Amino acid sequence: MKSAFTRNRPLATAVTALVGLPLLLAGCGASSGSAGSENVTEISVMDYYNNEPDKSFIGDALNSCAAEAGVTLKRETVPGKSLISKVLQQSSSKTLPDVLMLDNPDLQQIAATGALAPLSDFKVSTEDFAPGVLSAGTYKDKVYGLAPTVNTIALFYNKDILAKAGVTPPATWDELEAAAAKLTEGDQYGLAFNANPTYEGTWQFLPLMWSNGGDEKNINTPETTQALQLWTDLVKDGSVSSSALNWTQADVNDQFLAGKAAMMVNGPWQIPALSKQPSLQYGVVKIPVREAGQTAVAPLGGEVWTVPQTGNKARQAKAAEIVSCLNSDKNQMSMAKARNTIPSKTSLAETFAKENPKLATFTELVKTARARTGQLGDGWPAQATKIYTAIQAALTGSASPGDALKQAQGQ
Amino acid sequence: MSKETMTRPIHKKAEPRNWGNTALAILFLAIMLFPVYWMINASLQPNGATVDTTWLPLNPDFTGYLTAIREQGPNLVTSLVISLGSVLLSLAIAAPAAYALAYFKVKGAGVVLFAILISQMIPGIVVANALYTAYNDLGLLNSIPGLILADSAHGIPFAILIIRAFMNGLPSSVIEAAKVDGAGHLRAFFSIVIPLSRNSLITAGLFTFLFAWSDFLFALTLTTTEAVRPVTLGIFQYIGAYVNDWSSVMATAVLASIPAIILLVAAQKYIAAGTSSGAVK
Amino acid sequence: MSLAADLSPSKAQSRQHGPAVDQAPLVPRRRNRHRKERLFQWLFLVPAVVYMALFFGYPVVKNVIMSFQDYTTATFFTGEAPWVGVQNYVTVLSSSLFSTSLLNTALFTIGSILGQFVIGLALAIFFQRKFPLNGILRSLLLLPWLLPLIVSSAVWRWILDKDSGALNRFLGDLNIIETGVPWLTSTSLALIAVVGVNIWIGIPFNLTILYGGLQEIPDELYEAGSLDGATGWKAFRYITWPMLKPVVSVVLVLGVVYTLKVLDIILGLTNGGPANSTQTIATQSYALSFQEFKFGEGAALGNVLVIISLVFAVLYLRASRRAVDE
Repeated sequence: MKSAFTRNRPLATAVTALVGLPLLLAGCGASSGSAGSENVTEISVMDYYNNEPDKSFIGDALNSCAAEAGVTLKRETVPGKSLISKVLQQSSSKTLPDVLMLDNPDLQQIAATGALAPLSDFKVSTEDFAPGVLSAGTYKDKVYGLAPTVNTIALFYNKDILAKAGVTPPATWDELEAAAAKLTEGDQYGLAFNANPTYEGTWQFLPLMWSNGGDEKNINTPETTQALQLWTDLVKDGSVSSSALNWTQADVNDQFLAGKAAMMVNGPWQIPALSKQPSLQYGVVKIPVREAGQTAVAPLGGEVWTVPQTGNKARQAKAAEIVSCLNSDKNQMSMAKARNTIPSKTSLAETFAKENPKLATFTELVKTARARTGQLGDGWPAQATKIYTAIQAALTGSASPGDALKQAQGQ
Repeated sequence: MSKETMTRPIHKKAEPRNWGNTALAILFLAIMLFPVYWMINASLQPNGATVDTTWLPLNPDFTGYLTAIREQGPNLVTSLVISLGSVLLSLAIAAPAAYALAYFKVKGAGVVLFAILISQMIPGIVVANALYTAYNDLGLLNSIPGLILADSAHGIPFAILIIRAFMNGLPSSVIEAAKVDGAGHLRAFFSIVIPLSRNSLITAGLFTFLFAWSDFLFALTLTTTEAVRPVTLGIFQYIGAYVNDWSSVMATAVLASIPAIILLVAAQKYIAAGTSSGAVK
Repeated sequence: MSLAADLSPSKAQSRQHGPAVDQAPLVPRRRNRHRKERLFQWLFLVPAVVYMALFFGYPVVKNVIMSFQDYTTATFFTGEAPWVGVQNYVTVLSSSLFSTSLLNTALFTIGSILGQFVIGLALAIFFQRKFPLNGILRSLLLLPWLLPLIVSSAVWRWILDKDSGALNRFLGDLNIIETGVPWLTSTSLALIAVVGVNIWIGIPFNLTILYGGLQEIPDELYEAGSLDGATGWKAFRYITWPMLKPVVSVVLVLGVVYTLKVLDIILGLTNGGPANSTQTIATQSYALSFQEFKFGEGAALGNVLVIISLVFAVLYLRASRRAVDE
């Protein structure tokens, strides 16, 4: 039997025999093949770039890498939210693809299962990658995944609205609060961010927490409390709509586009949509820090490419070639440009920033960006849940920021 | 509610031009379908603007429709084939079972009935996860028969319960009479029970269709290529991890509803025809 | 007759059949015929039983086993999951979130079912009248069911948005409200809003099935009833309601069972927020499994939900059986 569930549990086997026999037996003899010397002609790939234009950008890069490796591609794109359940189904039936893309905070979770092969097995170079990128791709001192390009979040502002109000882009929390209050007028809010009860809400909060010296291992600290106090005050003052509790980053962008928010926290993937509206003049700065002099620490976003343990060494080697090729200097630069993301190799950053000034702030941030799983590894999801739980409790007023964090940490 | 609504003698001496009731029904329909209108409205907004949508799409933008027509045609056909297939399979399995559960005093019928009820309590994701492994082994992934079988997991138990409930209302004397005339079980079933249960079969079929039509979970779990892709999954082409193209999403939903609603109206007509012919009673 | 009533007579019947079979050797030919007859009867059931075993039996058993294991992401790959006994159940039941989820689940289910059933029944009775376009209008009411949930939940989120949502704009234009009502972002309103959307989704189901049930009631009953003076409310009380009982039973039991496990609508509208005010057992179980990757706990909580569902079904069936007996 191939399913994980039937492998070593007598009761399960007995029950399967009773109810699932005809369905399952048929597959017993099938094997995923493990001959090492076969001639590999096709490589399967799974990723979540399921919509345009990313689907084609990534598809083109994959195809050219496949051509270089002398194979054809069989690509499956799945909706982002379902990628993990799909990966788990495939890993239990031993049908993982040869090349698998994962969102970087999920990498350690999947690597911990043993389903991924260390890239060092295939001599894939990991030199020159930004430290945050490598830490996201590393599990127990071995690199399992590499991201050709990465992203992060920053503060977008509407130049016209700020100029009209005589406000300069804020750099500290005090300035942010003052600016947001001043820019709130009629049905226009000063700022929009996302504080929804998902990992996205956590992600948008991390820059404040980290820049102020907060730590994900223990969120019940004065530093993190200060950060949450800022988010809470902004909503309480009415400078941010309480809808932030339910907005996604896409909603936040819609608010900004419609002129309903003068500033927003968002990422460079919104640039194409923003550029479609030529009347909108916007600028991007780092998310403010509490006091001038603190370093802005941004969370690292982006997807890593991995080589699953499919049991077929020849195919894995080919897959590693493709992962390596996706991470070549040339591909990093072209994918970054096409997708408004940042090359993950530090040596490319400077040239890239010069060629793409609208991404300069993000390029700067990525150099020191921190991976969400850097400290907690596969313990991150549980802690990320606590963080958004605390944010929601504080922003709805159910608890003070300090109490909310204390309760969440204690859970 | 007036007295007439409670009783139905109106049926016989009906005032066929009762437009007052029609107006009332339209009013209610307008409230119920406002979100549907809002979907159509959103589908026509430029750039899929979701904030400050105007009450009427005064400057309609058809980009979303062009995209949807270009990309979703085959998916729509797939959805229709799977949904209709699921209706046929579900009714073929459910109708005899419902009949047996309603009329035969089979040992264990109560257990079967209760098991069916329990099956309705199981979260879909649990079924989907288990099916993936089995389907992979059987080569049923990415196949229309595979999806018809899986989607019927919504339809079969539901149809059994519904049809059985309706069949309880059938006078058993009719069936007994047929048996006395020497008709076997099969003949009694096909020539008496099925025609008499036409309404309940259509009602069950209707919902089986809707269950299969709206399925997303099985489509997602049991396909790994774009070869077989129902429209519910096709819509996700416009919902990305980073950005969404709402005008295409909404346009696809609007376009996909059209053939389905035609089918539903036709089915309802059929029910009406069956009733007024009086054959049932 | 309700589901319950049907469960019991068939059992009673089979008990009656028992002795008959035992005596059968005395009359071999009758016994043979009897056996053949029973075999034939079973043939009607076999396809359904086989299908149910394959598509539900296996997954259910798997889920039950999973709930007694420390089932993690690694288990999917390695197949190894240590037995932990009832630990998962202890963990999820003693979680501080459980009581919140349980209460929300109860409120969500009761609110949804009340709204759906009452409005559905009223409409079903209304549509019994004959008027032009009746059939088409009734079919159009099914439209909400044709929309993928991702679409309807997105549209509802826009409609219910505090600042620019259609509902608040409408209420504002009528001067009913002055500032935007935070339908989805207030801890006291979000559950009401989610229930409202779920009622909207459930009305077509209730309407169509109850309408079908009403259509099955023979006109002769009303004609006979009207001779005895049963018209209007009386006719409803003494003819319509009793005749509709089996269908009502199914609609209510299935309604509750389906509502208890509603997931996508809540995830789409609020994701369980704000501050867990719309978190139900179903959403919590999903989050445990697919967000926190604690599959054992997720399965345990899922099974708790099935048991709640089961208890409700048994209690309801008992109650209605008693009603039938009386």
